Amino acid sequence: MIEMFKWKKLGRVFNPQEVKGKNWIHEFAQAPSALIFDKFIRVYFSCRPLPDTNGQYVSYSAYIDLNRENLFDIINIAEQPILKLGDLGAFDEFGTYPVSVIRNGDAIMAYYGGWTRCESVPFNVAIGAAISNDNGQTFNKLGPGPVLSYSPDEPFILSGPKIRKYNGRWYLFYIAGKRWLDNNDKPEPVYQIRMAESKDGLNWTKHNKDIINTKLEENECQASPDVFFHNNRYHMFFCYRYSINYRGKEKGYRLGYAYSDDLIDWVRDDSKAGIDISEEGWDSEMISYPHVLELDNKIYLFYLGNHVGRYGFGLAQLQE
Amino acid sequence: MKWKKLGRIFDPTRHNLSNGCIEFAQSPQTLVFDDFVRIYFSTRKKDTNGKFLSHISFIDMDKNFEKIIRISANTVIELGDLGSFDEHGIFPINPLKVGDKIVAYTCGWSRRVSVPVETSTGLSTSDDNGSTFKKFGSGPVFSSCLDEPFLVGDSFVRIFDNTYHMWYIFGVRWANYPNEESPARVYKIAHATSNDGILWERDSKQIISDKLNADECQALPSVIKIKDKYHMFFCYRQATGFRKDHNRGYRIGYAWSLDLDKWTRDDNNAGIDVSENGWDSAMLCYPHVFHCNDKVYLLYNGNEFGRFGFGLAVLQDGYND
Repeated sequence: MIEMFKWKKLGRVFNPQEVKGKNWIHEFAQAPSALIFDKFIRVYFSCRPLPDTNGQYVSYSAYIDLNRENLFDIINIAEQPILKLGDLGAFDEFGTYPVSVIRNGDAIMAYYGGWTRCESVPFNVAIGAAISNDNGQTFNKLGPGPVLSYSPDEPFILSGPKIRKYNGRWYLFYIAGKRWLDNNDKPEPVYQIRMAESKDGLNWTKHNKDIINTKLEENECQASPDVFFHNNRYHMFFCYRYSINYRGKEKGYRLGYAYSDDLIDWVRDDSKAGIDISEEGWDSEMISYPHVLELDNKIYLFYLGNHVGRYGFGLAQLQE
Repeated sequence: MKWKKLGRIFDPTRHNLSNGCIEFAQSPQTLVFDDFVRIYFSTRKKDTNGKFLSHISFIDMDKNFEKIIRISANTVIELGDLGSFDEHGIFPINPLKVGDKIVAYTCGWSRRVSVPVETSTGLSTSDDNGSTFKKFGSGPVFSSCLDEPFLVGDSFVRIFDNTYHMWYIFGVRWANYPNEESPARVYKIAHATSNDGILWERDSKQIISDKLNADECQALPSVIKIKDKYHMFFCYRQATGFRKDHNRGYRIGYAWSLDLDKWTRDDNNAGIDVSENGWDSAMLCYPHVFHCNDKVYLLYNGNEFGRFGFGLAVLQDGYND
């Protein structure tokens, strides 16, 4: 049986609004994804410059390096975004968010959501892939198009990739759009968690199933399916919210939890997630985009607070 | 190849069309039945914002192509829901018989902000002999991939030796050109194979060489087997100025293959060109080749991408094979 997780919040690690001299990090530090080095932890995240005159954002991805001995000590910030935006008409012309990284031999692979803008709905997303040969400072795209694109049962919004390798196979957990709600001419998408498998990280076989059942409503939106293996079982932390009016405390993101013995069948049990919003402060209205990191015999949880990471990300530690 | 033009056989401006469409009968493609030929095409109506929406319709003709027996009165296939790949149009549709079933590959259109459109290929099936089609899922069956970044469409599927073959186009770039109001696209013809018509394998290679220049746009491949040789007709144009300059607009190109792998382009053998005057004097596009009553026919569009309908030509004996 699975014991309940119990997380102790350690505080906010990074506030992008405090970064000076980089206009492409004006605010937001979304969807943290960590990579362990000898002396530091490189935490990737997605950020935004100021919106354009139409109020529209683009998203870049970047990283900060945290002292391995003290994860609240930021020792380095990326000089530039790790990925270029796509060319005119490309799937990732207007954003590379979020990003998930993994080592593959001496290289580092990144899977990311590429954003385009549409006429009848605000955007669409597909999943791209890129490779780094300089320890993850910069990435080159494997092609101008997406590595995981739309299919009969996954018609739009393939996003939130989380890349994993278990037993020699590649697994991609991600979200797929199910429908757009009209919402009085302000369309809102409904998306839920999916997975695909691959032998090489390039050619993917989709399972074509929702793997996490809904709790709030049929149109519950789920994101950030972050999987780790611990005590002989697979665990997933993710976030979920209502489909409409979700930009505040009442219907905004919370963290959910599920476990699996085979990576295919998942049992949702949010009562074991062991973390919730704070009484006050930067994570008092919502918590989202969990990422679990095993480091030096401890287990940490990175997560976003209010406004889906507008004010950065924080850290919690699993209690024994 | 030598074609004898039989003239325009359908003018959409002279008929009442389903979905309130008024002009255009683009990319005619056939299903040959025992006693008639069904010709599907894409026609258009204006959206509330003045932009076009393409809908599928069809006519049935006798097998001598002398008489229109029927015009579809109902919606043949619904456009997609909000945010779907085929929300703003289906153009073209490629019907085919698979055993005793009828399926169709569709090219779905949805509008973008920085460029006008994106396309992907959908799959649909019919339970009523091709009168209406239901979609296999709300998303595309064949879409962009690493080396085919956008504008996957114009799929044309045939089964040869128990393998599904798809010829299609994919976009290689969008670019802003001087004197063009909006970004122009460049697309090329490619090939994929499948065992079931659903999961496809492809290598993202352009299979038809360029004739005009690297920006040549190639569209709507249509393939037919005659004796032991495969023949492909397609259309091609310059990337810019093609709407108004008759010399830069679509013409029909031709290639042949003995193995469905290597194609030799030989436009001199296409055997058809624009007329001196009339409905197909400025442009030839969207060819469709098919067998009917032991003859080989070519359906095609003329001026303004088929605004004024489609015509028919018949292959003359004695072509060089």
